[in-house]
Amino acid sequence: MAAAVTSPVRSEVLSLFRSFLRTSRQFSDYNIREYTRRRAADAFRENRALADAPTAAAAFAEGKKQLEVAKRQAKNTMFHATLLTKMW
Amino acid sequence: MALSRRILPVLLRRVNGGGWVAPALSFSAPARALSTATAAAEPPPPASDEEESVVVKGVRISGRPLYMDMQATTPVDPRVLDAMLPFYLHRYGNPHSRTHLYGWESDAAVEEARARIAALVGADPREIFFTSGATECNNIAVKGVARFYRDRRRHVITTQTEHKCVLDSCRYLQQEGFDVTYLPVRSDGLVDLAQLEEAIRPDTALVSVMAVNNEIGVIQPLEEIGRICKEKGVPFHTDAAQALGKVPIDVNRMGIGLMSLSAHKIYGPKGVGALYLRRRPRIRVEPQMSGGGQERGIRSGTVPTPLVVGFGAACEIAAKEMDYDHRRAAALQQRLLDGIRAQVDEVVINGSMEHRYPGNLNLSFAYVEGESLLMGLKEVAVSSGSACTSASLEPSYVLRALGVEEDMAHTSIRFGIGRFTTEEEVDRAIELTVHQVKKLRDMSPLYEMAKAGIDLKSIEWSQH
Repeated sequence: MAAAVTSPVRSEVLSLFRSFLRTSRQFSDYNIREYTRRRAADAFRENRALADAPTAAAAFAEGKKQLEVAKRQAKNTMFHATLLTKMW
Repeated sequence: MALSRRILPVLLRRVNGGGWVAPALSFSAPARALSTATAAAEPPPPASDEEESVVVKGVRISGRPLYMDMQATTPVDPRVLDAMLPFYLHRYGNPHSRTHLYGWESDAAVEEARARIAALVGADPREIFFTSGATECNNIAVKGVARFYRDRRRHVITTQTEHKCVLDSCRYLQQEGFDVTYLPVRSDGLVDLAQLEEAIRPDTALVSVMAVNNEIGVIQPLEEIGRICKEKGVPFHTDAAQALGKVPIDVNRMGIGLMSLSAHKIYGPKGVGALYLRRRPRIRVEPQMSGGGQERGIRSGTVPTPLVVGFGAACEIAAKEMDYDHRRAAALQQRLLDGIRAQVDEVVINGSMEHRYPGNLNLSFAYVEGESLLMGLKEVAVSSGSACTSASLEPSYVLRALGVEEDMAHTSIRFGIGRFTTEEEVDRAIELTVHQVKKLRDMSPLYEMAKAGIDLKSIEWSQH
């Protein structure tokens, strides 16, 4: 299974980014919601310049892992959202 | 009273505007007999807007305040919670159980967390011991080291701005017959290295200086202090609860012998901390918790796997995010400071600006009374001074050690900026603070006099 590691296709990356934005909206806590959106945007912007395939593929894989974590926890906070939500 | 609450809605009608009105019925007499006089004056329960606002301590607020008290505690990062949950759900074994899978996997998770924490500070995993928090670590460090070497060493050095648990442990040691030197700090909060070097005696058991102060955010010169302690052969203990994951720590470069770490200051769970104890040269402590000898005998008691795993995850995240968070915190602190200074004058920053962790800004507003300032800032969760001392009315001892005058010490506010703080929150905090300060200064005759050029210290207040 020694296939060369390929860097992710542009459409894949954009789709992952959009998933992050969608997932961030599910957080009921304002701070976590904003952080998820902002951190994802900054990370994708920073990694845009990654030239060689292995690091780009590693970053993409890491991004997918983080997306799974975010999705799980967004559901959690939805169930535990209290009446006293934030001022905004 | 409860009975009348149940009966009244049946007998009376609710009208618009929230009042109650008794129907003009012939059997209103029984209703009269059951109801008490206060029932008519009773305010109706809030109906549909119960979810939107709440009255807390006499103030009506319509949502949670925005959180700017990161030095007291931090919210748990969702990634940390994600790492912890399996250990509350199905992997609930005791890590000290050696005979089954539950114990083995729990132990593996604890060791992995230990390695992550060690990596963040440049230590070996065998040098990390889990405790219930930085307070317990400080107790073990101060009392444990002093008692272990009590035959040959009778002196402990610390500073006046240390956390209460360190100062209290030192006071406890004084009762046992140790000498304790409480080093003063300069007006910018930094310890004077020459004074420290002078204070070290041949029988000094420990030097304890905290890395980042929780009240004023000042970073002490750890490398220099470590170098001095190494030359003199004295163990160097630092309380790095506020520093971990925020400023780079390297125990070898900084010559640190013991270090207290806390999880809930770096977006981890509350109730867990870790003590770093150097192996080469080996620093010995007398354990404060007796029991089954867990954690190599240093701290007995079941290691709480979910909390420890959370701590490890928080450290891993902090290692990756330190630069990003630091840049953001610095930018937000500048924004906060510029925003406030642009609109109010006579604002004093407590503590050095150069040697500061940017997420901690402690400001004093002249001619403003502290308690009333805080009362008006109910929409922002800030603190004045440290949470430990907020129960009493005395001004913070840290500010007093800096030489800040009593009236300025009373008006100090500590703004904490963290990973999750947004620009909008900072702007709103500026708005609220400036509004409240201006309101109070408008009412303040002292401010008027100061503006007119009168020197307040020269006034002879008349005795009544």
